[in-house]
Amino acid sequence: MKYRILGCLLLLGIGSPPMTARRVVGAQHAAPLNMTVTSLRDTSSPSALSPRDSALHALNRLAYGPRPGEVDRVAAEGVMHWIDRQLTPGKIDDGALARRERDFRILDYDRGDLAGMYAEVQRERRERKLAANGAADTTVTPRDQTARRLAGQFQELAVVRAALSERQLYEVMVDFWTNHFNVYFGKGADRFLTPDYIERTIRPNAMGHFEELLIATAESPAMLFYLDNWESVAPGSVPPAAMRVRARPLFGRRPNPFSFPPRDPEQQDSMRQRALQRAPQGINENYARELLELHTVGVDGGYTQQDVIAVARILTGWSIKRPQQGGDFEFHDWAHDGGEKQVLGLRFPEGHGRDEGLRLLKMLASLPATMHHVSWKLCQRFVSDDPPDGCVDDAVAAWKRSNGDIREVVRAIVTGPDFWAPRNIRAKVKTPLEFVVSAVRAVAADPDTTPRLAQVVARLGEPLFQHVAPDGYPEMEAAWVNSGALLDRMNAAVALAAGKLPGVIVTADSGLGAAASPDDIVAVVDREILDGTMSENTKRVITRQLADITDPGQARVLAIGLALGGPEFQRQ
Amino acid sequence: MAISRRVFVKAGGLALFSLGLDPLFLARAAYAATNRLAVYPSSRPILVCLFQRGAVDGLNMIVPHGDPSYYSERPRIAVPASDVVDLDGHFGLHPRLAALKPLWDAKSLAIVHAIGSPNSTRSHFDAQDYMESGTPGVKATPDGWLNRYCQHDREHQDTPFRAVAFGPQLPRILAGTAPALAIDDLQAFGLRAPQPAARDRLTRAFEELYAGSATGLLSSSSQEAFEAVQTLRRVDPTQYQPAEGADYPRGKLGKAMLEIAQLIKADVGVQVAFADVTGWDTHVNQGAGEGQLAARLAELGQALAAFTHDLGERMRDVVVLTMSEFGRTIRENGNSGTDHGHATAMLVLGGPVRGGRILGRWPGLDPADRFEGRDLAVTTDFRDLFAELLARHMGAPPGGLDAIFPGFTPDPTRFPGAISV
Repeated sequence: MKYRILGCLLLLGIGSPPMTARRVVGAQHAAPLNMTVTSLRDTSSPSALSPRDSALHALNRLAYGPRPGEVDRVAAEGVMHWIDRQLTPGKIDDGALARRERDFRILDYDRGDLAGMYAEVQRERRERKLAANGAADTTVTPRDQTARRLAGQFQELAVVRAALSERQLYEVMVDFWTNHFNVYFGKGADRFLTPDYIERTIRPNAMGHFEELLIATAESPAMLFYLDNWESVAPGSVPPAAMRVRARPLFGRRPNPFSFPPRDPEQQDSMRQRALQRAPQGINENYARELLELHTVGVDGGYTQQDVIAVARILTGWSIKRPQQGGDFEFHDWAHDGGEKQVLGLRFPEGHGRDEGLRLLKMLASLPATMHHVSWKLCQRFVSDDPPDGCVDDAVAAWKRSNGDIREVVRAIVTGPDFWAPRNIRAKVKTPLEFVVSAVRAVAADPDTTPRLAQVVARLGEPLFQHVAPDGYPEMEAAWVNSGALLDRMNAAVALAAGKLPGVIVTADSGLGAAASPDDIVAVVDREILDGTMSENTKRVITRQLADITDPGQARVLAIGLALGGPEFQRQ
Repeated sequence: MAISRRVFVKAGGLALFSLGLDPLFLARAAYAATNRLAVYPSSRPILVCLFQRGAVDGLNMIVPHGDPSYYSERPRIAVPASDVVDLDGHFGLHPRLAALKPLWDAKSLAIVHAIGSPNSTRSHFDAQDYMESGTPGVKATPDGWLNRYCQHDREHQDTPFRAVAFGPQLPRILAGTAPALAIDDLQAFGLRAPQPAARDRLTRAFEELYAGSATGLLSSSSQEAFEAVQTLRRVDPTQYQPAEGADYPRGKLGKAMLEIAQLIKADVGVQVAFADVTGWDTHVNQGAGEGQLAARLAELGQALAAFTHDLGERMRDVVVLTMSEFGRTIRENGNSGTDHGHATAMLVLGGPVRGGRILGRWPGLDPADRFEGRDLAVTTDFRDLFAELLARHMGAPPGGLDAIFPGFTPDPTRFPGAISV
């Protein structure tokens, strides 16, 4: 037995498995789809797949999974037509989601409001600590609660949008860019800058032109703060008088609220000295490095440390007005390094200000390395954890043709042969967000107004907006599939089926109607929830499990829980 | 059996890697195909890492009572010399860490002072990130140094409990391609159901589902998952009784240390364990011999003492390491607290430890010797200590250390000397 496994694994390792190997592989893994084994260099269209299979594949990759009956609806419409519509989200009516969004108060607050609230919470906490003389204080004030509730709402909103929006491909792209241009919600001011970042920087640009999206993120207070560019200054820069005595913002250090500013002139002077000392002393390379390594050309993009420094110099002065009050982008002339620079061979003559930063970003957005890097990631998201070269090439070609129109790049990917190739069908594994949302959609459950569903996603390992490192949540299965995570998914599946998953309301029936016998129940679950992908083994196991359960309600719950927690449903 | 598997992984694994198949997956599959429920040699070295999140004040934890500057800079929060538990005439333990004194006397506690990061960030999240990724200054490192160690030491990769983190999620330090388990609650690990009978039935059902229908990584990971559940059932965490006299403090830290001890004693193959504890960010009213910090230290001391007591003889294979992202200012601030600093202190406890000494070079508290004129200077890069533990205690191959700390060349001459050779 061991040698058969090893033998198959050996064959799997070879890039293009010959027919014999595929048949052996087929014997090991129950082939769930009703299709003939085809050669590798075929399927320039979904014609090798049945309309239902194509629809299911599209709904799995370009949406957060089908809702009951949706595979048939998309198949009837024609999957290419559905894809075409999804590529123009503005024309899709999303009234149901819009009504639900009214429940989310976070949308009513702008950066300034949230900043003010946050500052109040911090001040209250400090006062309580001083009053309590350092003893541990666990009281939660109403303002504290509001702040936390809003934070939870912000995460929940993302989950609700993914679950309920008709503009599914758009929501998938929002998630993609949220990770590509990652910002960590928990870092200081980003607590009140991130919601606005998502609403006004990422979402409006998610299916526009890459260059505009890139520039929008570069100018966003959230990104400037997260990667420290807001305090990157040319060495020797001196802020204008008005800014000098200001102590460091609240989220770094806490000035004594009871004696600030000090009245004693000597103390005031030493405060000024300390403020100057604490003020940024030079260029900060953080954003420059991630701009190159993660956002544009990629780690193999051919840039050097000198390029990183030059980019950082170009972006000095790209800052935030009054960050602790949730301010806008502001260009600080006094902080800018106006000298001559060179980046990736391109010369930036001296004497330029903010415009050279824009020139840099446009240049980066148009480089072949950027097109390749970003296209590679898109292909990884849509096609395969190990994206095929052909797919990436098609995407890059579309990028060039359309001047970086994200829609056209995505269109090229999803209409290309690799997207529909049998070996790439159901070959990916869902991330925690994709798993939870697709499970909720599969049983037509309704997220309630609490943040608890987002907490389920967090428990499974993907707390939204809380990825600390700038590379964002990963796409590959190896990052998500581990023993603990799988057990958690099984538990979540069982809880959802029983109507006990926190944060969702499950209507009693979930389309199972009057199905009573184990065979009937299994057949309905296969059709409605697994969309026909249930393997023979799974059918056998679930049927056996249902054999001695008399209560049809209980039987349905068990069948659904096993289906959602089982291996087929983890795949997309 | 073990030998042939290892040979296959080394020889066959490399060949397959060049063809694009990750030998990690292969090793996990090979593991799954072999004997289950093996018993693991009880002499495998174990490293337990405890992260004090929030930047612990190393100066009040391990007090340089022999230095007058300590008292002049901290009029309100310095620990009085008479209260300090003296260690070597110059340094002493905070009084609430008194439980660790016997370990010092028995030479199984070493302390590295003035240890920290070469990076000067005073941001909690950045500095924790750097200490967990093992790459100070580099933010894009996808995995943690403990996971990279696990990736490079394939020999012990034969149990789902090889690397365990106690908490709701896998921490950065254990993120990566090597399998690691996040356990929130040992007693609740596994599938949840109202009664044990339903739970077992559900477990069997899912196990059959995955055994027959899962492929690839889903298959091997699920097998590990069910192995882990079955093994834990055998261990029976609900029935665990710590050794006589091992008095764990109540709360999350005590529970985590108890569960780590339990798993170690159950011989399920734990090699790396991690837990963290918060509450060290004492900006306001830090306290001296009593107060906020003192309370945290009391809990820490009690947990560590209980742990070593509970493990008893097993401590011969175990090293416990405490770490914190940076230290705190030498001078107290206007709120009777301290602000973010630079160097801090780390404790190393266990049988293999060369205890009874303060390691590293003490830079002193003179203004001229401070970092940026305000903080304790770093004289030991934390990677030197971590590398020493991996090399001398865990047996990491010398060549492998470079890969575990990219951008850094571990050098035995820089090791602080925490482990007996």
